[in-house]
Amino acid sequence: MSYNVYNVYMHFPVLAIMTLFVGAFCVTLAGKHEKVRNVIAGCAVLISFTLLALLVKPVMIDGNIITYWMGNWEPVEGYAIGIAIEVDALSLFFGLLITIAVACSCFYSYQYMKQDDARGSYFTLYLMLSGGVLGIVLSGDLFNIYVMLEVMTFAAVGLTAFRTWNPNAREAAFKYLVVGSIGSTCALLGTALVYAQCHTLNLAQISAILPGNLNPTTILAFALLFAGFGCKSFMFPFHPIAADAHGAAPSSVSVLISGVFTKTGVYGIIRVCYFLFRSMGLTSVQTMLVFIGCLSMFVCVTMALNQHDFKRLLAFHSISQIGYILTSLGLCTALGIAGGLYHAINHTLFKGLLFLTAGSVLYATGTTYLEKLGGLARKMPQTTALFLIGAFSISGIPPFNGFYSKWIIYQATFEKAAGGSIGYALVTVVCVVTSVLTLASFIKVGHSVFFGQANPELGNVKDPPLGMRVPMWILATLCVLTGLFPDLMLRYIIGPATAAVLNSVGYIDAAMGAGYAEAHLADPSLLAAPQLISIGAWQPASWLVLFVIVLLAVFLCSLLSRGNSARGLESDAKHAVFFGGERAEYSHISGGDLFWGFKHNLRGYLGFMSRVHTGVTNDYVLWGVTATAVIIAYCFVTM
Amino acid sequence: MDIMNIDIMDILMYAVYILIFPGLLFTCVFGLWLAGIDRKVVARMQHRKGPPLAQPAYDFLKLLGKECIVPDGAARITFLAAPWLGLASLVVTVLFIPIGGLQAFGTGGDTVVILYLLTIPTLAMILGGSASGSPFAGVGSSRTMVAIMSYELPLILIILAVGKAAGGYGVTFSLGQITLFQYLTAPFILDWRLVPAAIAMLFVIPCEVGQHPFDVGEAETEICEGPLVEYSGAPLAVFKLSHAIKMFVMTALFSALFLGGVTTGMLWLDIVLTLAFCSVVTLVCMSLLHAISARFRVEQLFKFFWTVVSGLALVSLLLVWFC
Repeated sequence: MSYNVYNVYMHFPVLAIMTLFVGAFCVTLAGKHEKVRNVIAGCAVLISFTLLALLVKPVMIDGNIITYWMGNWEPVEGYAIGIAIEVDALSLFFGLLITIAVACSCFYSYQYMKQDDARGSYFTLYLMLSGGVLGIVLSGDLFNIYVMLEVMTFAAVGLTAFRTWNPNAREAAFKYLVVGSIGSTCALLGTALVYAQCHTLNLAQISAILPGNLNPTTILAFALLFAGFGCKSFMFPFHPIAADAHGAAPSSVSVLISGVFTKTGVYGIIRVCYFLFRSMGLTSVQTMLVFIGCLSMFVCVTMALNQHDFKRLLAFHSISQIGYILTSLGLCTALGIAGGLYHAINHTLFKGLLFLTAGSVLYATGTTYLEKLGGLARKMPQTTALFLIGAFSISGIPPFNGFYSKWIIYQATFEKAAGGSIGYALVTVVCVVTSVLTLASFIKVGHSVFFGQANPELGNVKDPPLGMRVPMWILATLCVLTGLFPDLMLRYIIGPATAAVLNSVGYIDAAMGAGYAEAHLADPSLLAAPQLISIGAWQPASWLVLFVIVLLAVFLCSLLSRGNSARGLESDAKHAVFFGGERAEYSHISGGDLFWGFKHNLRGYLGFMSRVHTGVTNDYVLWGVTATAVIIAYCFVTM
Repeated sequence: MDIMNIDIMDILMYAVYILIFPGLLFTCVFGLWLAGIDRKVVARMQHRKGPPLAQPAYDFLKLLGKECIVPDGAARITFLAAPWLGLASLVVTVLFIPIGGLQAFGTGGDTVVILYLLTIPTLAMILGGSASGSPFAGVGSSRTMVAIMSYELPLILIILAVGKAAGGYGVTFSLGQITLFQYLTAPFILDWRLVPAAIAMLFVIPCEVGQHPFDVGEAETEICEGPLVEYSGAPLAVFKLSHAIKMFVMTALFSALFLGGVTTGMLWLDIVLTLAFCSVVTLVCMSLLHAISARFRVEQLFKFFWTVVSGLALVSLLLVWFC
């Protein structure tokens, strides 16, 4: 288990973080040379990704935990005084998904940001954000996590307002700053309370001392940390700021905010609940997490159905998917954790892809407003294909990746229901209904952006340049691969990460020396047996057969249609679309017209929801503070 | 040498499963036959003579030979690929459903997988319609999606109820296990706790297939067959075929969930028995309903499924849990 000092792997995590921060400063030094800036940023994200990818073998497969003491300040007499970087399979899992998204989005932004002014500061902020995010998940020190949280938040606020000419962006950044500071304050206060109780900030040491020592102070600390990280993951009711921020930021940044930033919140919640306080065994904490998850899931998906802007819609879906992850993690079973983590990586991939396609639409047409778009499939075939892959993935259409993770989540919730209360069966139902509504809202996007009637104003629109398409295709390929080979994913990536979540003893011992956990931990038993037992069966390999059939079919149909529809260049009445006598411009079916029967029946609820989301910062702050108060009260009553 | 032989035999076996039985060929033939008896019976109930049983097959063959017109405003690739995607996924779905104890994919199908697979053909129709650029198709696609949202809630409740009933102290999503449980005890249709769920399922089937009282998406008299309005020739033929196959898939699913495990000991007789069940279910929930009722409006459909049908399924779920 233990690494000697000269082992080269030890230095990789800290180097991965350092590269990004150093890159951020070097970009500024490059000044006006755009090429140099791009090269520096690209090198930084690639090096960072490579360093973490090299750790897969020692950490994920061999099961080591890397502990790196900054400045070689090792623990003295059982007290960790130095700052530690501690990488177990869980940290590495989040680190990997972060660096993948960061790298893809970075290469995408070369072309995408060409139209913007003030590009000099873009990569500085971008790399600061990436470094902050990576710092959070790799750090083994609670205060360090808080510092990184602030670095990340401020970089994200700056990037949200990057297009300063856009008043929405400025407003979104302001909201983000204000509401986000609730989260930061809670996290800081929670950290201070933990420090006061444990006299240490090292995660591993706290994990050994704190569990089993619940007193009013630690309960308050738990509630505050939970609310703080919850705010960073934009869980309900912190979700409205996410919608504004994702919608207004440049798409390449939305990928980071949605796919990566929110994951740090999830990571924080895992560390707080499963490690620091080991409170996940408590039914009350499970219930809280599942309840918040379900609310986020359902409320945000219904809000998404109401949206008229491509990116805002995606933003609400992002919180809805975070809801799935939180629900699944809240089950505290091996299957649940695996499902949650699987969905976390899938969400990063498909949401990244969808935001990038939205960015391409914006790049090509200058708008993301659904009612102004239409019929882009003929002009942007590749973007359409990419969008469909992303949409199928998020809606959980087999064999794309979203299906597999949702399927594990259904199994996990239903299994939990069998072992406990029927309430968890209703959680399964909520998950499935949310999934259908997700599909519906992507049908809406597909219809009003890519299919449907073409908008004549969008004359000479075309696919984005190669530099933007390649990162999208990489993400799309990953979406398909993670869906087609779930066995490999579970064995090499998800399985070790799941085991790491349940193995806080190993985490403690790696940092504090073997036997430390046993000596200090009140109850060193594992929370749940780290076994993955499925209650159903699914063989994605059989899907290869389907793919062959589909390919054959498409080939066949292209042959058939070529043979049958030979026609001249000029269009005639036979090939015109049937409008039933109306003129084409008066019979447009736009996104807002869809799903009338559904909206009519739920008009009370939907109307209430859109009335409540006022867009006023004061209201959202009120929600945030109320939620924090409720969480604190709940924790005091039930823990 | 042996291994080589087994491999080739396996591949041949799978090829037979996928292409002939219970895959492509068989589902096409039997689906078209079900569509035929449905049309015939509805006609007899309305005091008409009705078309010959093979009429859907004739229609299909005739459409294959017709010209395929792609409208000017259409997204060509999606428009042409959608019907084939729907057909392929339906054929794959059949492979997951046990027919007379015969399951093509050995380890047993999975109810949730089937639930998701079943959305793909409908999704293909929505995308195809949407890609045609016609406003009628736009309305039709939107309504079809509302139909999906309507039946998905009761369907998942039914699946959970059956999964709990078949799981004993645990739960299961495996159709193989559900059938086995019924084989060891009794078909679920005889279990009083699951009767409401079975009735709910009888409503879900025509909605999922898009049969008459619930065919808001196609609604020939209002929106000219909705998503199909611009289709012609081979793609239209494939959509019609998919519609027929869906009747078979859904009724076979009903047979597996509620009439499973009825066995005579002979495989071919079991298969014939399943087919007979499928035909009966078709007559009860599709032909009968078709003949005696008028089409629901969209919002009525949604309301009906989220209140009455879901209520029935929920009653079953609660009964299974607490009785």
